[in-house]
Amino acid sequence: MKTSRVTSAGSCLALAVLVAACGGGSRNLIQNKGSDTLVNVAQAWAESYASVASETVVAVSGGGSGTGIAAMINGTVDIANSSRKMKDSEIELARGNGNDPIEFVVGFDALAVYVHPDNPLDQVSLEQLAELYGEGGDVDAWSQLGVEVPGCSSDEIVRVSRQNNSGTYVYFREAVLGERRDFRLGSRDMHGSKDVVDLVENTPCAIGYSGLAYATDHVKMPCVRKGEDGDCVSPSVETAIDGSYPIARPLFMYTAGEPQGAIREYLDWVLSDEGQCIVYEKGYAPRGDVNCS
Amino acid sequence: MFEATERNRRNRKVEGLFRLLFLWMTCMLILPVALILGVLIVRGGPAISWEFLFTRPIDNMTAGGILPALVGTVWLVVVALIASVPVGVAAALYLSEYAPDNRLTRAINLAIINLAGVPSIVHALFGLGAFVIFFRFGTSILAASLTLAIMTLPVVIVATRESLQTVPLAFREACWNMGATRWQTIRKVVLPNSVSGILTGVILEVSRTAGETAPIMFTGAAVFMPFLPQGVLDQTMAMSLHLFVISTQVPDVPEHMPFGVALVLISLVLAMNGLSIAFRVYLRGRKKW
Repeated sequence: MKTSRVTSAGSCLALAVLVAACGGGSRNLIQNKGSDTLVNVAQAWAESYASVASETVVAVSGGGSGTGIAAMINGTVDIANSSRKMKDSEIELARGNGNDPIEFVVGFDALAVYVHPDNPLDQVSLEQLAELYGEGGDVDAWSQLGVEVPGCSSDEIVRVSRQNNSGTYVYFREAVLGERRDFRLGSRDMHGSKDVVDLVENTPCAIGYSGLAYATDHVKMPCVRKGEDGDCVSPSVETAIDGSYPIARPLFMYTAGEPQGAIREYLDWVLSDEGQCIVYEKGYAPRGDVNCS
Repeated sequence: MFEATERNRRNRKVEGLFRLLFLWMTCMLILPVALILGVLIVRGGPAISWEFLFTRPIDNMTAGGILPALVGTVWLVVVALIASVPVGVAAALYLSEYAPDNRLTRAINLAIINLAGVPSIVHALFGLGAFVIFFRFGTSILAASLTLAIMTLPVVIVATRESLQTVPLAFREACWNMGATRWQTIRKVVLPNSVSGILTGVILEVSRTAGETAPIMFTGAAVFMPFLPQGVLDQTMAMSLHLFVISTQVPDVPEHMPFGVALVLISLVLAMNGLSIAFRVYLRGRKKW
């Protein structure tokens, strides 16, 4: 008697799930995965798109550019987000599995250098950053950058970096250290863009890099110059669009083959003024001039 | 007459000291539980409202509610239960009622113990390779729940087997002597008398399933979905991943929100546990021995 009740309850549940599973046919589900840099923009797109096309559901996941690209290679995702270009070897792998990646530039990201608000550092050069973060570099103390940081009696620079499957990590290495130079050991490698800013905010000795979109009122962003006498440019959406800011990069979406149907419509909307204004609102730079009210 | 010697007094002092020491240790055990619950209630309590529980997140998940995550967690738990309980109970029945004590049985037992020891992140990668890619379920509730089911299978098997073994052998022998087969004995005598113990295994599974993050992150949970999942092949939001995301990825989340999500997650698990415990007590009350 007791058992049969338990069994019938169980089979009812199973039936309910099956019915529910069959009922979901009339919607388009787009799976969108990848870059943590893009995840907040992708989330905002998905949220707004729900009111544009209610029959399409966009499911967003993060995990890093590498995660998105791996999913594209395995064919388990419709749109992969990446804050770096896919490598030729990765494109080959994807093609081998029958997924020919098509690239879309959906915006630009400026990497800001973050320091504690009490830090008097106003400007920093790419060369100084390279000696600070790069293998064999010799910058270890704030006094070597010509500043004395209140609250940091040890004078030692705490380097904050990212985990090595992050697109931000790869791009910083490319833009600042150069293709062949590696990061040196001993940095604090954070799991997310926001973690970098959080740590720097609370650590007088720290310096870190992360997307401009993660800036808060509690951190300082020194301007960045190329060479000892180059112009020092502050990170902003404007300087990222006009190309004067030296560490800004394009952000990509990849689809497997020419996008069709609901995926095409979604990408068209992402690239439209409405979609691009969301990029701007999130602190990134849109692809071109857009009119956002 | 008894006269306490120096030695007796010393022994009593030492005895008292150890008693006190062990009591303190036990109290320290309660401390983290009380602190966690206290902090969550004080800091997350103000976030809880009908709107928080029953609306979708808005403004980049810095406002609105957590409905898709709440519903998603229930989906994941229910589908995982449907997948693991029949298999787990059947395996436990075989091991307890049929299996002879030979090398194969010992190997199976060893496998179960080892399965219980596999770290959840390894289960996650297994689920990604097996269910998402090889079986082509894609990142979906089905793939995530099956991963969770495999992860929690040992819990169900061990709890069920232990509970089957509490049914006295005399019951079974009485049944067999009446000419009943093994299956008839299991169905009419063994199972009805061990349901409460099986439920304990299910309770443990629910608690673990609802809170796991790693296994679902790769196999089926999304950071954000504007609508509720409609079937097992959809992706879904989940409470545990939602908590992770709004605490580490999303800027400008009001401070009470992550605490609110954690409080709801804990309450959800406690409520599910409570329900099963109540059912268990009811069944135990009807036990005739």
